[in-house]
Amino acid sequence: MEEKIKKHNSSWQDGIAKNITFIVTKDCQLACKYCYLVGKNTKERMSWEVAKQAIDYILDNEEDFKEDSVIWDFIGGEPFLEIELIDKICDYIKVELYRRNHHWFNSYRFSFSTNGINYHTDKVQDFIKKNREHLSIGITIDGTQQKHDLNRIWKTPEMEQGIAPQPQEERGSYDDVVRNIPLWLEQFPGAGTKVTISSADIPYICESVLHLYSLGIHEVNINCVFEDVWKEGDDTLFEAQLMQLADAIIDGEYYKEYSCSFFTENMGKPMDCVYENTNWCGAGKMLSIDAAGNFYPCTRFAQYSLRDKKAWIIGNVNDGIDKNKLRPFFTLDRCTQSTQECIDCEVAGGCAWCQGENYDAADTPTIYQRATAICKMHKARVRANNYYWNKLYRKLELEGIAQEKAIEHTKMSDNKNNC
Amino acid sequence: MLQYLIIQLDDTSTSYCHYTNIRNEKRLISLDDLRAGILWAMKENLMIQYVLPDYELPAEYIEEMESIDNSKIVSSHSTMINNADVIVLNGWEKGFTFRENGIYVLRITKDSLFAYSEEIKMVLPAVTRLNIVITDVETFTDADCETYKIVLESFAKEVEKLYVAGKSPQLNLLTDRMMLDKMNNCNAGYESITLAPDGCFYVCPAFYLANEDDDFGLGKSKYNVGNLIDGLDIKNPQLYRLDHAPICRHCDAYQCKRCVWLNRKTTYEVNTPSREQCVVAHIERNVAAQLLTSIRTYGEFLPERNGIEVLECLDPFEKANKW
Repeated sequence: MEEKIKKHNSSWQDGIAKNITFIVTKDCQLACKYCYLVGKNTKERMSWEVAKQAIDYILDNEEDFKEDSVIWDFIGGEPFLEIELIDKICDYIKVELYRRNHHWFNSYRFSFSTNGINYHTDKVQDFIKKNREHLSIGITIDGTQQKHDLNRIWKTPEMEQGIAPQPQEERGSYDDVVRNIPLWLEQFPGAGTKVTISSADIPYICESVLHLYSLGIHEVNINCVFEDVWKEGDDTLFEAQLMQLADAIIDGEYYKEYSCSFFTENMGKPMDCVYENTNWCGAGKMLSIDAAGNFYPCTRFAQYSLRDKKAWIIGNVNDGIDKNKLRPFFTLDRCTQSTQECIDCEVAGGCAWCQGENYDAADTPTIYQRATAICKMHKARVRANNYYWNKLYRKLELEGIAQEKAIEHTKMSDNKNNC
Repeated sequence: MLQYLIIQLDDTSTSYCHYTNIRNEKRLISLDDLRAGILWAMKENLMIQYVLPDYELPAEYIEEMESIDNSKIVSSHSTMINNADVIVLNGWEKGFTFRENGIYVLRITKDSLFAYSEEIKMVLPAVTRLNIVITDVETFTDADCETYKIVLESFAKEVEKLYVAGKSPQLNLLTDRMMLDKMNNCNAGYESITLAPDGCFYVCPAFYLANEDDDFGLGKSKYNVGNLIDGLDIKNPQLYRLDHAPICRHCDAYQCKRCVWLNRKTTYEVNTPSREQCVVAHIERNVAAQLLTSIRTYGEFLPERNGIEVLECLDPFEKANKW
């Protein structure tokens, strides 16, 4: 029965590759309303010198980076604004991996999350052609034009002075992104997109996922923001949208070739504090580097990502990594950071958190206090998810019975004919 | 649960632990706050420990302080040294006369400890208890660890000799681990809280004595956890408990101070020790294990306690993936 349902594609070397992120710029053409990067700016662009120092440090200290593979991740802002720097970085990495006979040679990827606006440009396309076999690129498109343009709007010069545009002055970016989707899917046929749900997006979830399927995107990775943005009644609306989506996916038989990460089997079960106690988030196992040459356990711990807390710096390109600053991340488990309510929760399975948001929202500067703003949305998701799988399996079961009956009927007919 | 209220009477009151007090301007707690602190401790059923400055306190303060059972921590230069329960030496003082049956804290840098180890060893027969606090433990290198082990082994020989002679010397670095069967850490923020001269509560004196602009990386190092008017308000109090310290709850270096101040300084998290703190504590633990075995060769000693296994791994963090 399971072979009839499309599974999520796991990312390259999922869970076993070292993820190293270059924050090449803190600038972006867009000013998405739900963006957690509160400190974006045009000034902090990574220099080649800093990038080179970071690469040299990482490759010089091979014994501290023992993972079999590496994903060199480029993030912004919008990373493709710095395509020339990125091209130089990637060339240098390839040459150095070869020159040093490094164990990551031929076991690396360059990975990008882009808003897609510059995807078609010559510089980006030349880069893609040059590195095609070692590339993962995700373009973010949020769904229908209405939903996409609700949040993903162009930045205006006034915004840099902190002046928000009037609603009528807002310009959505849907048209500028959607025109590049066919080219992207041609070059990366299995690619998925990432959709973010905030309070205002809830009414558009169902139509947006279906719209993305209609664009040819077979994998939609979608999640609610972890920040405390949820209003009274959002969970009810969310559940209704997900059930509508469940019906549409099942009735339209999209489940055969398309996937949506909201519907995940085996989530929403109680969890054991001994056997299911691992941390959700990979912060600390990753490494991020910004324009100043500082190292972070993940991008979410850089200052431009934090509302209320100071950056969690774990070293820099000159002094290297202070391993003491990583100890809390490597010893952090689920139950030590969770409230008793979370520990006792009957639907704990699949309830996610972001370590950076936990830190940002905590009462003290700690990663050991789990933010629970997403609680009611998770519970709504669990209810809709249960509905989805119950309905889908019943449908497949009935189809199976019908098929068996049809086969039986055919056999009987054949027997009659033989008589 | 809370058991102790530490009252830092003055800004210049001696440090008795890892932190350094560089303040030289007097700021005595107000008599009203002292009175309120004592009253609060009585209501909360807490033992009071006063940390005294070197100068002579006004008579009305002494009178107020003595209105409740207490213990007093003073420096070796204090005018109150004769009434002290614990005397602190800030560095090795040549020629200092140790009082028989006295309890002493020796705050010392690693280099001085290594340099004066022979002299320090000679203190053990004279005093009831010697607590050695290494004030720069976070700077230990691999070479320092080697030297520290040699110094501790030499201390252990002296302790062994004294036990064989029928005495019971107490040296926190070695004898505590022999006697303990569970963690016995500082537990600031959980078992003890500090009242400072500004009338506010702090996790320990170190969090008060930090300068206003001191910053270990994630914001101000100085922060209070309530005051005498509004009461105690410790945010994330669970993080000061052993059960919320992932490395320490798997550890059996029971004598370790598990200093939350050093934790905050070195790893950003009050519940997570640095590699240096763990390794130093394990060197002490291992030498204590050997000492226990050696003493037992002379006859029955602490028969109710199991032996202590010498561990090769000196940093329990390295076994985190096996927990």
